[in-house]
Amino acid sequence: MKRKLISLMLVGAMAASMVACGGSDATSSNGSTDGAAEGAAADVQSDDENTLTVYAWDENFNIPALQAAEKDYQDVNPDFKLEIITQSQSSDVESAITLAAEAGDYSTLPDIVLFQDHYFQQYVTNYPDAWQDANDANCDWDGLGAEKLSYSTVDGKHFGFPVDAGTAIFAYRTDLLEQCGYTIDDVTGITWEEFDKIGKEVWEKTGKYLLCMDGDGNDLFYMMLQEEGVSQFKDGKPYITENKELVQVFNTLVTLAQDNVLYLANDWSDYTDQAIQGDMVAGVFNGNWIIPTIKKVDSNKGNWAITTAPTLTGKEGYASNGGSSLYITANCSKTDLAKDFLAYTFGGRSAEDGQSTTYDDALLNGGVIGTCAAAANSDVYQQGVEYFNDQAIYADIVEYTQHVPTVEQSDYHYQARTALATALINVLQNGYTPEQALEEAETNLKFEMGL
Amino acid sequence: MTLANKQLAAGWLFLTPATILIFIMSFYPIIQAFITSFKTGKGVNIQFANPLTYNYSRMLQDVIFKTSMKNTFLYLIVEVPIMLVLAILLAQLLNNKDLKFKGLFRTAIFLPCATSLVSYSLIFKSMFATQGLINSALMKMGIISENINFLGTAGTARAVIIIALIWRWTGYNMVFYLAGLQNIEYSVYEAAKIDGANGWKTFWNITVPLLKPTIVMTAIMSINGTLQLFDESVNLTSGGPANQTITMSHYIYNQAFGQGVGNFGYTSAMSFVVFILVAILAFINLKVGDTRD
Amino acid sequence: MTKKKNRSMIQRRLIPTYIFLTICSIISVFPLYWMFAAATNDTVSVARGSIAFGNQLMVNFEHLKTAVQGTLWSSMGNSFLYSIVQTVFTLFVCSIAGYGFELYHDKGKDKLFGVLLLAMMVPAVATMVPLYGLVSKAKLLNTVWAFILPGISTPFMIMMFRQNSRNFPPDIMEAARIDGLSEWRIFFKMYVPVQKSIYAAAAVITFMNAWNAYMWPKVVMSDNRAQTMPMFIANISSGYTVDYGMTMLGVLFCSLPTMIVFFVLQKQFAEGITGSVK
Repeated sequence: MKRKLISLMLVGAMAASMVACGGSDATSSNGSTDGAAEGAAADVQSDDENTLTVYAWDENFNIPALQAAEKDYQDVNPDFKLEIITQSQSSDVESAITLAAEAGDYSTLPDIVLFQDHYFQQYVTNYPDAWQDANDANCDWDGLGAEKLSYSTVDGKHFGFPVDAGTAIFAYRTDLLEQCGYTIDDVTGITWEEFDKIGKEVWEKTGKYLLCMDGDGNDLFYMMLQEEGVSQFKDGKPYITENKELVQVFNTLVTLAQDNVLYLANDWSDYTDQAIQGDMVAGVFNGNWIIPTIKKVDSNKGNWAITTAPTLTGKEGYASNGGSSLYITANCSKTDLAKDFLAYTFGGRSAEDGQSTTYDDALLNGGVIGTCAAAANSDVYQQGVEYFNDQAIYADIVEYTQHVPTVEQSDYHYQARTALATALINVLQNGYTPEQALEEAETNLKFEMGL
Repeated sequence: MTLANKQLAAGWLFLTPATILIFIMSFYPIIQAFITSFKTGKGVNIQFANPLTYNYSRMLQDVIFKTSMKNTFLYLIVEVPIMLVLAILLAQLLNNKDLKFKGLFRTAIFLPCATSLVSYSLIFKSMFATQGLINSALMKMGIISENINFLGTAGTARAVIIIALIWRWTGYNMVFYLAGLQNIEYSVYEAAKIDGANGWKTFWNITVPLLKPTIVMTAIMSINGTLQLFDESVNLTSGGPANQTITMSHYIYNQAFGQGVGNFGYTSAMSFVVFILVAILAFINLKVGDTRD
Repeated sequence: MTKKKNRSMIQRRLIPTYIFLTICSIISVFPLYWMFAAATNDTVSVARGSIAFGNQLMVNFEHLKTAVQGTLWSSMGNSFLYSIVQTVFTLFVCSIAGYGFELYHDKGKDKLFGVLLLAMMVPAVATMVPLYGLVSKAKLLNTVWAFILPGISTPFMIMMFRQNSRNFPPDIMEAARIDGLSEWRIFFKMYVPVQKSIYAAAAVITFMNAWNAYMWPKVVMSDNRAQTMPMFIANISSGYTVDYGMTMLGVLFCSLPTMIVFFVLQKQFAEGITGSVK
């Protein structure tokens, strides 16, 4: 009833303005606008029974992976089509779910959405009707990486199919290290203190920072903690001032920034364009999806190598950051097709059969490294990469993936990162002591969580 | 229907489409937002808060909201006067009969506001980047000895936002003043000259009072635009470092769409506060600028 | 002789003015120059802020054509369609309203006008969710209606038309009524023809706003087939790695129409604005 009334009001308002047009030149354009409106009025659902629609972002990364999957599944179902609807960023997909849910009408959603891992749990909690679980999909869940699946599993039910791993790498400029008398082995399995010492030397001799952090992502806090197997949360509450490792990590970052070892980029574009592509750094620590950005600078070919990250104790560190998975929405009426498609491709069924088109092409065309253990045996994963001096980086990354510790997650994951980044700036720029800054971060985070 | 009635009906009919649309597109949503502002919880778990004013009292304790309010008012107080004075000055200079290339100057100065947001933010970010044009120019001139991270330090980041705003909107306001000046008869100036008034006196005693309605209008537009400022905060600084450049609208957007499932009760309450603030300032402006009695 | 001297004196007096205006113009136009230069460079040069022209224009163009499933031209087309439809509807709805408020004004209408002005202050972020709900329930997502509906009637435009209507003498209306013209005919035959410049000014502002609109279209036009130029740019300029040369060429495509519209209509634009600040 309400819905009808609203439609009527809107149509009425439009009709009023159109009728009122009378003989004005607006009338002549009416015919054409109506036609065009219908032309543009495309439902994101497809009527064809072999076509699925999907929202995804990033033309250079996720979308080639999806295209690879489409091609792969056409071996099973030659009529299959995947209609990819490009969104500008991950938050567009999140907004689409939010708006559809708040409007109480899921019919505007596509069959499948690509969704950021860290956000999925809270969207299930708050909009449970927006999703369909995929627990009975025909694939080997155990082969997909336990840490990765911990994001997409709710109450023991699988909802998502992993696209990329997000496993962290530490990339170093070996030529610059060499100038200071170090090799890649000298920076593997070291403590952050030793890292700071090398970093200071690199800064003095080459004028480059050995580490940088994106001011929007504020990734280092999370990754450095995950290496230690610790989270910013404990039992659903912020775990900051009492968290010994977190305090140590925080103090490390303060020291690194003060010693000109760490460059704090203002945002994502400052991080990629100025810091990395602008040749300001000799080291990059982030999810492996940062590799295509590093590779953009042709002149540094052969000068990069990847390894594990330093830790507080000096063991080799493993972490993950970012990454997303594919989920089936409530609006999908072809659930069986969607599940079979996803299970066959990103679920790794085709890879187990020895033909990993999805994973191979995703890697070749988009630089996407999956979590599927079976896919890692292919030649594409094993080969050396010219840019990285023929190091077999993909095989290395798959190896790192096995070691990433699972840590407690929270709906307030990103808010925690922001709070800690604010604390860091407060120490560096606004004269806070680390204790004061962390105290304030904890208070603000609790406030945000309504605790 | 008598002629008078017909006229009356026509008069109202002219207003009807615009009025209906504004009621549906602006007033209906703001009333919805007002109702939502008394609710708390996210998604399916949203319900009326207890006490009803929970979101409003929460705002008083919200450090970031207070910071965003301070930032927004800082932009307002610094940027709007500079921009409007510069716009009047430029308009005054361009309103000179003897000046050549008037159209060229006018177009050049107006163009920034026709530039799309994406290019404008890309350009400013790259110019003020740590290795950007401004830094290398200052280095060459010997003003600084080490690159400055303009967008990464609170003071300079705020300055960049203000400069960007002035760059983008001065020309737009100038066009309005230019138009206002053209409505002033030249004879008024001649008379002033005969009375022996100098340039500054003429400007202050004749131009400004006659431009008053235009000044009030542009001031209201600028206040409204600045209090709802969003683009620059999002695109130039992401609100950073440490939320020290974030605006109210940006913070509200973050709470609604930027960080996972939105807290729409809270964002509605904050939006409503912005709405009231703009209304109050516009009202004051109208009262101060009212010349009729 | 004296005349000549006089002229050069005036010129000399104006030299500081010229210098000041030239500096302001260069500052205003420089970023646009940079946009042109960037469109001819590769991504690393752009990111490093190179201001010289490069030789990558065609390469950037080839990339741009295939970006976002090759939707460059359809995005341009959509942007033109939506912006023109928006302009036509806005001009019509707001001009009759401004005309009605000024020339048929009485206490009731003045009060209503005051109420409508409040709509200018409603923050966009507050209305997004309820508005989306309306449009979604009316099944208008991804249509031109979803794009234009919230922007058709704006207090600012109504105010502009209302101010301009002040110089339309009521006597003419009386005379026309005596001649037996209907109220609508008076509007179309007598009012519209003499108000061309305000229509031009309103058209420039509306077209520019519609063309550059981003937040609302992003929400209601999620289908790539319905996307606008700013959305196209956003789709190519965010992601883990961005090709800035290609993006800046896209931005150039996106900026040209608004600039052309302003160039073409600038004389009428200035005149129209003049009327609205009386």
